[in-house]
Amino acid sequence: MTVLDAAQRVQLRRLCGARSLSSEAEVGELNVVPFLDIIVNVLIFVLATLAVTFTASLDVKAPSLPGFSTTSQGLDLTVLIVNEGFAVKTAGGNVAPGCEAPGPGVAIPKRGGDYDLPALSACIRKLKQSSPEAQQERQIFLSANPGVEYHVVIGVIDAVRATPEGDPLFSDVSFRVPR
Amino acid sequence: MTRALARAARFRRSEGTAPEHVNIVPMLDMMVIILVFLLKSMSESSAAIPQHDDLRLPSARAQTDPAERGIVVTVSKSQILVGDQSVLELPTHGSVASEGAGASAKRGGAAELYIVPLGEALRRARVTDRAVRAAQGLDPKASEAVIVADRSTPYRLLVEVLYTLGQHEVGLYHLMVVQGRG
Repeated sequence: MTVLDAAQRVQLRRLCGARSLSSEAEVGELNVVPFLDIIVNVLIFVLATLAVTFTASLDVKAPSLPGFSTTSQGLDLTVLIVNEGFAVKTAGGNVAPGCEAPGPGVAIPKRGGDYDLPALSACIRKLKQSSPEAQQERQIFLSANPGVEYHVVIGVIDAVRATPEGDPLFSDVSFRVPR
Repeated sequence: MTRALARAARFRRSEGTAPEHVNIVPMLDMMVIILVFLLKSMSESSAAIPQHDDLRLPSARAQTDPAERGIVVTVSKSQILVGDQSVLELPTHGSVASEGAGASAKRGGAAELYIVPLGEALRRARVTDRAVRAAQGLDPKASEAVIVADRSTPYRLLVEVLYTLGQHEVGLYHLMVVQGRG
């Protein structure tokens, strides 16, 4: 019978899975798996929450007071948010309802009691394409009735910055203080 | 002989129906590290804005990255904050729509735009902000602000806040929104 030397005996014991228990193991090892299970659940929850709270920022410039001259030339486009809808003014005068020609009235009236942001975006696009100079312009002014809520203002900024298809319109938004 | 014994031992192990257990502890360790990293980065980011009844951001189509630079001014339904410090308790919503922050918070009465408590807080904040901008190689004479405002904030109050910021050399405002509206 072959006699195994010490190294061979150790190798054989290792391969057979027979391990001598250390003094620590004999005492009993701390089972951290349930704790880690909880942590994984928390991680999944955090990741799921992250997915619905992505934020962005819209850049605007300081408001100008009435009576102060502005540096804008050319189209000098202003959108006024009033209770009836959106009034649009240019250097050539007020834009009439329908956004086709100059004239009195609210260019984009409310539809079904809500502000019509897609129609505003289409109107602004039409005005931008009205002349080669207007196509180069990036500045637009925004004003509103005192009670108009912030989410409407943000909606208008969103609508005048780009079309729903992503074509850029007027990226340089400044506020104006109503008289 | 030794090799034969070793082969036999391996065979006995692989012959078993299934391993006793898969050791997932290293993977879970990794998960814990990722969790700690995520929580830390979330808490330090200005994009991490808790949404609750007093402060609910408007949503927009914009896909821009949230601004990280500038003085953070928060306008909730009930108060105005500069950074984490509350500077003004706001009156009721109806009153805010007509008079803004209220006559008592302004020097010349309700018609005035400059909000005094906000201005004082901004003056203090600008001291640090100037130093930070100078250290970053930016123009310390002009600054930026991150505006975190509730979606129902009246335009009157918004303009008052922006006007007051403008009086303290802040010329560019980053309006924080939630991405999502299609």
